[in-house]
Amino acid sequence: MLDLQDILKTFNPGTANEVRALRGVTLTLERGSFLIIIGTNGSGKSTLLNAVAGTFRVDSGSITLAGQDITGQPEHRRARLIGRVFQNPFSGTAPNMSIAENLALAARRGQPRGLGWALDHKLRAQIRDRIRSLNMGLEDRIDNAIGTLSGGQRQALTLLMASWLKPDLLLLDEHTAALDPKSADQVIRLTHEIIQRDQLTTLMVTHSMQQAVHLGDRIIMMHRGQVLHDLRGAERARVRQEDLLNRFDAVRRREQLDSGVADLLQSHYV
Amino acid sequence: MTLLIGAATIGLVLALLALGVYLSFRIFNFPDITADGSITLGAAVASILLVHHWSPVVATLAGFMSGVVAGTLTGVLHTKFKINGLLSGILVMTALYSVNLHVMGKSNIPLLNESTLANQAESLATRLLGGGKSEFLLAGWTVGVRDAALLIGVLLVVIAVGLTLYLFFRTNLGTAMRAAGDNPQMVCALGVSVDFIIILGLALSNGLIALSGALLAQYQGFADVQMGIGIVVWGLASVIIGEALVGTKKIGVLITGAVMGSVLFRLLVAIALRWGLNPNDLKLITAAFVFAALVTPAALRKLRLASKPAAT
Repeated sequence: MLDLQDILKTFNPGTANEVRALRGVTLTLERGSFLIIIGTNGSGKSTLLNAVAGTFRVDSGSITLAGQDITGQPEHRRARLIGRVFQNPFSGTAPNMSIAENLALAARRGQPRGLGWALDHKLRAQIRDRIRSLNMGLEDRIDNAIGTLSGGQRQALTLLMASWLKPDLLLLDEHTAALDPKSADQVIRLTHEIIQRDQLTTLMVTHSMQQAVHLGDRIIMMHRGQVLHDLRGAERARVRQEDLLNRFDAVRRREQLDSGVADLLQSHYV
Repeated sequence: MTLLIGAATIGLVLALLALGVYLSFRIFNFPDITADGSITLGAAVASILLVHHWSPVVATLAGFMSGVVAGTLTGVLHTKFKINGLLSGILVMTALYSVNLHVMGKSNIPLLNESTLANQAESLATRLLGGGKSEFLLAGWTVGVRDAALLIGVLLVVIAVGLTLYLFFRTNLGTAMRAAGDNPQMVCALGVSVDFIIILGLALSNGLIALSGALLAQYQGFADVQMGIGIVVWGLASVIIGEALVGTKKIGVLITGAVMGSVLFRLLVAIALRWGLNPNDLKLITAAFVFAALVTPAALRKLRLASKPAAT
């Protein structure tokens, strides 16, 4: 379904701020699989998601989604295939427009937009039905501006928008990280329901080890722009929160070792 | 009375400018200075066609289209060449000054003897009233037929344009345009090219502004290469007054507000001039007014916060 071949990306090349964000990521995802990406800060997990979404062009490598090579396509062209939920609840919705208008925009994701009415009775009824299924009491407020809603409500709506037209790939970028624990639980439950119902192929970045072990059927751990561990099948089924934390500790120890060795070498040779 | 009708008519003509400025400045938050050039461009193109005996309707539409081209140019400079929005507008506006001189062939074109929309409206009104009279009585006031005809004619145009704009903002494309100003990241993630939408929006905005210029030239009976200077600030003042008048974020109400703001602004200007305001000070006062209108809301909020520190 999704196939990444040897993706390289360096930000600010040739300057003091050069960051080698992705250093040869190769990853294949089958249709309907739900991949969780974990990793330390700066490990490149969000960058990987953005590379797939098309926020920037990769330096080399190829990205194939649903049988199409999308490596050179701009972000808005890829949107035909991809639904996204961002970390920031404010990113996924237009605050000064109504709930109904936001969903109407999502109902035409990736399709040409002409001079037909954005909202008609049929679409409004559909919107009300789907919003009722969120159980947030928003179905009677679909003409209110989205900016008046809480972060959790907005994130739930963004999720609804991203999945309104069944996407070939759903990208979730730490979409509960900015929410309070209760809203985060609610959004995670909704995420699970939607992905199960539509059998969506999903990439989800998270900081929560709890989410990592309870959701998804495969976990990759990234480090320094590369895939360090790839847990799938029986190994994925066995993994517990402690195991993941241990792996993080191992990475951290090695990191310290690296700088320790550098100091040692420096004191001897420089 | 003639003074008030005249001010209201100019206010309505410039309401189209206000709608254009509303589109670029409020929908996209894009300070588009192209307006100064495109209003003159609209006037120049319409006038030169009128001098060559084209039909006034065609000349006016050509004025509109010339603004569309100018706006497209600003949009392309901004999105495809990544030039700062303000600078893109300044570049196109500056270039348009020369273009306008070339279009007109001289710095001023009088339209006194041409068949314009204004003259056509007047003759239509005279025919409707049974001919002969140049004035009539309305509720005790003597009203010139020409003045009344122009006011009603322009009002109809503004209503038509405002309604079209309102309906456009409820289509798929129009909704995407509003959303692109509100949250470009989201719109991009939903498959809309934000670049395309900005170019389209600026084209439409400058088209309206040029249309305003084309009508203004026909109303006042001449096109002048200087007529656009500082006009974007007038449009902005109208938009701000309109927002203060209506005080909501509903799109239809805001469109009406911009029109009302423009008329009210022109009436205020007419009254101030009548009271002896030096016309040379007009732009200074307009700029000061826009400054105050931009700063006051934030200052008020700060004052309100400062007055109740114990609340937290």
